[in-house]
Amino acid sequence: MTRFGLFATVALLALGAGQARAADDIIIGAVYPLTGNSAPVGLDAKAAFETAVDIINSTHEAIPMVMGKGGGLDKLGGAKIKLVFADSQADPQKARAEAERLITQEHAVAIIGSYTSATAATISQVTERYEVPYMSADNSSPSLNQRGLKWFFRTSPHDEMFSAAMFSFFKDVGAKTGKPVKSVALFYEDSIFGSDSSNVQRKLAAAAGITVAADIKYRANSPSLSSEAQRLKAADADVLLPSSYTSDALSIVRSMNEIAYKPKAIVAQAAGFQESDFLKGAGPLAEGVLSRSSFAGDALKARPAIGPVTALYKAKQGKGLNDNTSRQITALQILADAIDRAGSAKPADIRTALVATDVKGIDMIMPWAGVKFDETGQNTAGTPVIQQVRNGTYVTVWPFDVASTDVVWMDAK
Amino acid sequence: MTADLLVQALASGLLMGLIYALVAAGLSLIFGLMDVVNFAHGELLMVAMFATLVLHESLGLDPLLLLPIVAILMFGIGVAIYRLFIARALSVTFNAGMVQIFVTFGLAIFIRGAAQFVFGGQFHSINDSWLANRTVAIAGIYLPLPQLAASLVCLIAFALLLAVSRTEFGRALEATREDREAVGLIGIDRDRIFAIGWGMGAAAVGVAGAMLANFYYISPQVGANFALIAYVTVALGGFGSLTGALVAGIVIGEVESLTALVLEPSLKQVGMFAIYLIVLMVRPRGLFGRV
Repeated sequence: MTRFGLFATVALLALGAGQARAADDIIIGAVYPLTGNSAPVGLDAKAAFETAVDIINSTHEAIPMVMGKGGGLDKLGGAKIKLVFADSQADPQKARAEAERLITQEHAVAIIGSYTSATAATISQVTERYEVPYMSADNSSPSLNQRGLKWFFRTSPHDEMFSAAMFSFFKDVGAKTGKPVKSVALFYEDSIFGSDSSNVQRKLAAAAGITVAADIKYRANSPSLSSEAQRLKAADADVLLPSSYTSDALSIVRSMNEIAYKPKAIVAQAAGFQESDFLKGAGPLAEGVLSRSSFAGDALKARPAIGPVTALYKAKQGKGLNDNTSRQITALQILADAIDRAGSAKPADIRTALVATDVKGIDMIMPWAGVKFDETGQNTAGTPVIQQVRNGTYVTVWPFDVASTDVVWMDAK
Repeated sequence: MTADLLVQALASGLLMGLIYALVAAGLSLIFGLMDVVNFAHGELLMVAMFATLVLHESLGLDPLLLLPIVAILMFGIGVAIYRLFIARALSVTFNAGMVQIFVTFGLAIFIRGAAQFVFGGQFHSINDSWLANRTVAIAGIYLPLPQLAASLVCLIAFALLLAVSRTEFGRALEATREDREAVGLIGIDRDRIFAIGWGMGAAAVGVAGAMLANFYYISPQVGANFALIAYVTVALGGFGSLTGALVAGIVIGEVESLTALVLEPSLKQVGMFAIYLIVLMVRPRGLFGRV
């Protein structure tokens, strides 16, 4: 076959595939790393989105959440959501090209993505240019919604909101237990993650009138953190606020234990402290550690949809929902709801409906207050939770209305 | 700052310093013997830590009891690396220096990748050993037992290495180091000496790895955390000098500990390298390096 012949055949096949599609399918593009280092996250995301699509499209017993009753989009005559996945390999340039392809060739009416904030930055430039909504499911960089984009929407809280939640928690828990936070110790690695996190925490502490008793920037992956532990011990703040990945999370709790120091409370910026390797490795030393999280898998009473949605996901992927997969399902649910309310597959109509979104927390699997976008496209009701390690696993202890257990606060001495 | 803090920092620095010295001893030994810088040294440490982990989990033996087993295993790995790769690299006549650098560098990347493949990227920890997470307080100074034991083992290992250097075999090592061509004439098998040298170097880092596994996390990347410090230790102490490695290890441990206490902790490597650069200006061959 000549090169032209081959090209023509491929083009015909592609055309044919396009025509075979049911006329009323709503195409949504999903850009995720499906190969490379981050592939495990991307493949979990794919299963999460497929779970959400099943819930929206198929007929089944109603799940108590938005778009949980099944049977497609009512206002569009029962039209089905169809996802087209594209592989970004976590590379911002590939993500840009794939987003463009999804819009121009696959005729996606919205794009959802994308795990890393770096890929979200390029994808949302493309969606802005083509005037198609970009729904950020799980990108956490605070700057993403501060670029004046009209077509950017993010259901998930970003990193600044996570830190703000910690300080709201301090206020609430102080009022509840009579043990307010008067001082904090900042402990963060020498990277963009550590400095961004600590900058916000420093500002929030100042605003709340909380003293920063120690401000320790440490070298990531150091063979020893014993001097750092000593400085924390000397400062003995009410709360230690670490921003560390797994390796240093393990090192610092061990180093503090070596000099017989147990902080009154540890409230972590997730990351390493949320990893199972940390829980296993630190063992008894992890007990009582608090961390922020966006998902509360144990909030079954406050969020009745968690049970059935988890079961559906588990049937596909063989494990429960986590921080990422729960946010992905939620983002697609919110997007599908907007398309349904718009009663139109035109991107401009979908955008108008997204702007008007007002979903209550009880209608989701997330422990958030709800979903309501501000003028930058950021969900302002995406309130994170605080979890605590109890008997080796994280349980939700704040906000008190979604908590599954009472918090143990500044008791351990 | 109180005196307590300072004394505690000095004690912690000394314990870590002795561990750095032990990690560096093997590197120094191999370099001293054949002028080869082993860039896979950190990876050998990592292999020893994983060996300790796997043996601990499968046999249920405490890392302390596994110490001789890991040392022997690492001796074998050291000999194998020499026979399979280093001996061949040494036989190259053109650009020999570059070949030697790349062979150990390539080995480092290979071992790390293999560990990633076999064990995954997770962090493992041994929490149920005799020493894990235990600490004693003497006059208000806290001495964590795993580090204390590792320091004692380090001193014993150095005593052994120095004792070996005084034996017949030690003199053969020394002679080979002095003139690797001439020793053949007096009936010393140069190849065998080199192989044993690699075995001893790997065994020394194996002992360090087994002791580290008591209190440090284990992952395919863990070698890199210690490797850089090992190279500075060897350079500071003087290439090839065991006494130098011991003294330099302690100096670096103390500098690290004090920098982190007095200055910004993220600057502690700057402190280490500053000391090295100062020594380099005054005494380019290192503290105990031979001319």
